[in-house]
Amino acid sequence: MADFYPVDALHVSGVSVGYKDKIAISDVSFEAKSGEIIGFIGADGAGKSSLMQAIAGIVRFSGEISYLQHKYHSPKEAEKIKIHTGFMPQGIGLVLYDTLTVDEHLRFFADLRDLKKDAAFLAYKKQLLHMSGLSAFAERQAMNLSGGMMQKLSLICALLHRPKLLILDEPTTGVDPLSRLELWEILRNIAKEEGTIILVSTAYMQEASKMDRVMLFHNSKVIASGTSAELIDSIRPYVYEKSLADNDENSISFDKVIYSLDSLNLSLHEPTLEGLFFVNALKERKKIANFAIKSREDDEVIPEVVMECHGVSKKFGAFVANEKIDMQLKKGEILGLLGANGAGKTTFIKMLLGLYSIDEGKLTLLGQSIKSGKDRQELKSKIGYVSQHFALYKDMSVKENLLYFASMHRIEKKTALSRIALYAKELGFEEYLGSFANELPLGVNQRFSIAAALLHEPLVLFLDEPTSGVDTLARAQFWQILQKLKEVWGISILITTHYMSEAQFCDRVVLLKNGQKVADDTVSNLYERFPKAKDFEDIFLEFYKEKA
Amino acid sequence: MKSVFFTIVFKELKSFMRSAALVAVVLYSFTIDIYVAGEGIDIEPRNVAVGYVDNSSGGISKKILSNLHSPEFVAPVQFLSQKELSNAIYNKEIMVGLVFDNDFEKLYREKKNTQLNVLLDATSASQGFTTLMYLQSILFSFEDIQIPLDLKIHKLFNQNSDNKSFMALSELLSLITMLVVILTAIVFVKEKEDGTWDIMLLMPIDAKLTILAKTLSQVIIVMGGVILSLGFVIFNIFDTPMNGSFWSFIFLTFLYTFSSAGIGLFVAAIAKDVMQVAQFSIVIMIPLIFLSGAWTPIYTMYPFFQVLSFFSPLRYYIEGSESIFYRGTSFVDLYPYYFGVVILGFILYIIGFKKIGRLF
Amino acid sequence: MKNFVRFSVIKAFVLKELTELVRTKLIIMVYMMPSMVTILFGYGIAMDVTHSRISIIDNDNSKYSSELISKFSHSKYFDVTLTHESEAQALEKIKKAQSDIILIIPSSFEKNLLKGEKSELGVFIDAAFANRASTMQNYVQGVIQSAATTSAPMMTLNTRTLFNQAMRDEDAIVPGLIGLVLLVAPAILTALLIVKEKEKGTIFNFYASPIGKLEFLIAKLLPVLLLHSVNIFILFIWATYLFDVPFRGSFFLYWLSSEIYILISLSIGMLISIIAKRQIVAVVLTVIITILPAFLYSGMLMPISSMQGASWMEAHIFPVMYYNHILYDCFLIGQGFDSSKIVLYLFILVGYVIALLGLGALFLKKEMR
Repeated sequence: MADFYPVDALHVSGVSVGYKDKIAISDVSFEAKSGEIIGFIGADGAGKSSLMQAIAGIVRFSGEISYLQHKYHSPKEAEKIKIHTGFMPQGIGLVLYDTLTVDEHLRFFADLRDLKKDAAFLAYKKQLLHMSGLSAFAERQAMNLSGGMMQKLSLICALLHRPKLLILDEPTTGVDPLSRLELWEILRNIAKEEGTIILVSTAYMQEASKMDRVMLFHNSKVIASGTSAELIDSIRPYVYEKSLADNDENSISFDKVIYSLDSLNLSLHEPTLEGLFFVNALKERKKIANFAIKSREDDEVIPEVVMECHGVSKKFGAFVANEKIDMQLKKGEILGLLGANGAGKTTFIKMLLGLYSIDEGKLTLLGQSIKSGKDRQELKSKIGYVSQHFALYKDMSVKENLLYFASMHRIEKKTALSRIALYAKELGFEEYLGSFANELPLGVNQRFSIAAALLHEPLVLFLDEPTSGVDTLARAQFWQILQKLKEVWGISILITTHYMSEAQFCDRVVLLKNGQKVADDTVSNLYERFPKAKDFEDIFLEFYKEKA
Repeated sequence: MKSVFFTIVFKELKSFMRSAALVAVVLYSFTIDIYVAGEGIDIEPRNVAVGYVDNSSGGISKKILSNLHSPEFVAPVQFLSQKELSNAIYNKEIMVGLVFDNDFEKLYREKKNTQLNVLLDATSASQGFTTLMYLQSILFSFEDIQIPLDLKIHKLFNQNSDNKSFMALSELLSLITMLVVILTAIVFVKEKEDGTWDIMLLMPIDAKLTILAKTLSQVIIVMGGVILSLGFVIFNIFDTPMNGSFWSFIFLTFLYTFSSAGIGLFVAAIAKDVMQVAQFSIVIMIPLIFLSGAWTPIYTMYPFFQVLSFFSPLRYYIEGSESIFYRGTSFVDLYPYYFGVVILGFILYIIGFKKIGRLF
Repeated sequence: MKNFVRFSVIKAFVLKELTELVRTKLIIMVYMMPSMVTILFGYGIAMDVTHSRISIIDNDNSKYSSELISKFSHSKYFDVTLTHESEAQALEKIKKAQSDIILIIPSSFEKNLLKGEKSELGVFIDAAFANRASTMQNYVQGVIQSAATTSAPMMTLNTRTLFNQAMRDEDAIVPGLIGLVLLVAPAILTALLIVKEKEKGTIFNFYASPIGKLEFLIAKLLPVLLLHSVNIFILFIWATYLFDVPFRGSFFLYWLSSEIYILISLSIGMLISIIAKRQIVAVVLTVIITILPAFLYSGMLMPISSMQGASWMEAHIFPVMYYNHILYDCFLIGQGFDSSKIVLYLFILVGYVIALLGLGALFLKKEMR
């Protein structure tokens, strides 16, 4: 059999990975030809990472993998192919050393792979730095990079030795649209010119169209595979235009689309790859439950303007992270804060929260002018926050974590338990309640963080990339929850995201570029301003191309 | 207010219990480590290895040698030449070498001035010295000198001169210092490393409450270890006397651990990661333990260090504990130790508290 | 065919580790800790008991009794306080740790002596610290014996103390401290270097790249070895110049055995960090399993020749004893390579390195657990 394939192909046959008593991925077989880009998509915890780790030869597995005439069945046997592979594990900045600069990382990885530092290498390195937009930050230490920049640095470190087999576990999570375009440009060039096989998992479905083949993972199995177009075609009959008078029991409705396995008396809608997840959920008889939120238990009076700042600036040494930013967040408003990696979004949010001091400017939160840490003390219980990085206690189970946060906010245990049960159901992590936080995939972890931020029913939510790395279904659910919270509780939400498709769920968006505000408008107004834009990503790119 | 405080305490305790390896290490420290320290160290000469070269014709030298018996000495080994004997001493197989010259017996019988040659490995100075004292008194007994004085020696507090219990107790007291500083520092630094620090800051909890609760949780862990150690090792294995009040020791220990946790807070404030915690704690603790008199009596230190030692809270803690265990000093008379621990501890805790509080 | 060990890979790690150590300021600790321990303890530890506080209750107030008292006053081992308290009051003072010894001279002291009758001196010693008590007891007996024997004794000891003629504590302790410091400090640093990567995730760089296990181990150990090698010289300078410890042996032997010993320490740290999953566990474990044996089996507190049974076995299991033997030879004895025992011990030390590194390579796995 194997003889029909060229020698530089990758064969995976019957690979399973298990941890303790849990099966992470079972019995996967596929082949990849030289120059092919294969995408792994699927819900969080579906087994994508485990398969990648098996192929990279860093975890024990059963079955056989063969690459470049080497057959391997264990990490030890895989040793021989590691010279040809590049692997980037999931997690932001995981493989970086805090105190090394960008340039030092590149030197380290080059030496690690025993690369000759000839002219070709230097040119390639320069190209990578340029493409990732890190040229200007070559001397910055990794711990001072933004999350997206860390991802880009990790990726170019994995590319440095021009691997023949590149395994990337969510390399674009937390990376801005512009950089994502650039990264894909790099990947496609490598695949085409060097015949590299690229296995890549992603939570951004738009990226799937750039892949030669997509494999859909579900419950530790690969349930579908084909080109992005083929997969989209496969759900074509189940996707309908949304109408007002729908309320079918067996359908899921999200955004402007209804998914249903029964034929509905509605016109069909052009499907997207995201639809795959919804249709799959229908087949599994899962539903996006209607989020049953009760009105808040207290009757806090929320001021009309929840947050207002004037001329807020932040400097780190010579680097200006935020420059004279004015912003307003009104009652019951969802404000999207967009911008490339390193544009100053996280810095800005941390200033609002008091985690960074404000160098310059005025800030008013919930009607109170903030001058010192004391002013914030009583506001803390009215604010919810989800950070970009994983931030739960590793040695406690998810439930214990949530209960702990609840009691920190002096919520009664009974109330806390009922709220936890509610969010667990709505955000789809019921099955993980007893697990330890560090054993779970990134996407699942983000959901607990969101639940933790909602437990104390805050008046205002600051969410820093809450949806990064979260799978499609959970994101859909998440946005429904945000909408409900806004409607029922009337709370305000400031959110950053790199999913441009999510911008349309925001009432207003603010765009940051190099620490400055470059746009502040409603989504529809922005579409009017850029009539040629197909989607919001185009608008975003317009702003970033403008002066560059 | 109260419930939040105890929630934090319980969370930290649970966290600790979850790390099986950490629990194992702490258990090991409080039991086996203390046992080893008590069993192992013996500064008094015991089983001193003696070698001899006997060129005399035997009688007196045999008698002298027969006086070298256990527990102080092991049976003397005969060497044929002084060279062999020196070699054995060089190789550390023999610590004391005795050389009886040709005319040793003759001179003795003629009641002339007789010399016994002693070669002594003085690498461990104090043992060498004490061994010489033994030899001297053995020789005295050979001369018919009647010492007109009788010494009636009473050893107080620790009648059977049990050195083991003392060493074990000293080790326990040093260990308490070490563990409480490291554990407290780690509790905070772990949050920095895991990224939960920001979340902790955003809780609507008074920073003071958080710091106190976290400190208390580690104090509880250490106190638990102390009780274990007292029960299983100090009292059970070493039969350490408890001439004073048990509760007054527990109370003193509690005050002391709490104040030492302040050093942990200070370390946590300046350390970025666990690696730095390890190094900073060692650098801060070694002088502290050293100046406490745990290793060497304070009045034998250089005067400068003697003055410095007044600033080591461990000094008051150790002296206080010894007094409670051995001297059975009554609670009222312990006030200097309580004062020392409380005042220095309070200062240390406030410094650490302020330092870490600035990060909140 | 790839080379067995590639220079560039090792260079990459060494450079990285050094940069990290400098940036995190840990480099200061690498050099501060060993020197601090050596200086503090070298100045401070006195195994001898001097200045014991003796309270003398003289109930006789005679010429003889004051002669006896002056014998105590002139001894460096005692600080004399004359009191007229009652026995009970004096005992109370010991209880409060204000006094170590009480000597009670009976009222008929001089009278009895003149009559040629025996008189009994009462001595109370605080025996909380049993060792110190025994030493003090010996001193008291010594002073009284010498006071009593007025005529010159017939048989005398002709003592030649070897190696440490002046019987200085420094000579006895400082070399031992070097053995302590060079075991503990490199071990702690190494223990953390690998666990840190595990905890952070950077260990993936090792898992997923073609670095050999041997290369990785060398790359991790080399920077610590280089840094701590400097300490060999720094500690030598403290010992010989600051503490005036003589150096009679071969410097080359001192250097060589110290390098090997540091390697052993590194290997212990490495083993711990391969087994441990969390940094805190690695730290505490290293401290506990290195400091105590380093003290116990250094020969500083108790000569190995006096050890029996279990402790003799343990002393021979830990590497400290072998190194300290060589160390004391270099400083105080000076036999050097002429002694077959030293050569044997040197080989034993090398054996430790090979065994420990081998174990490390065996346990180190290039896969997730």
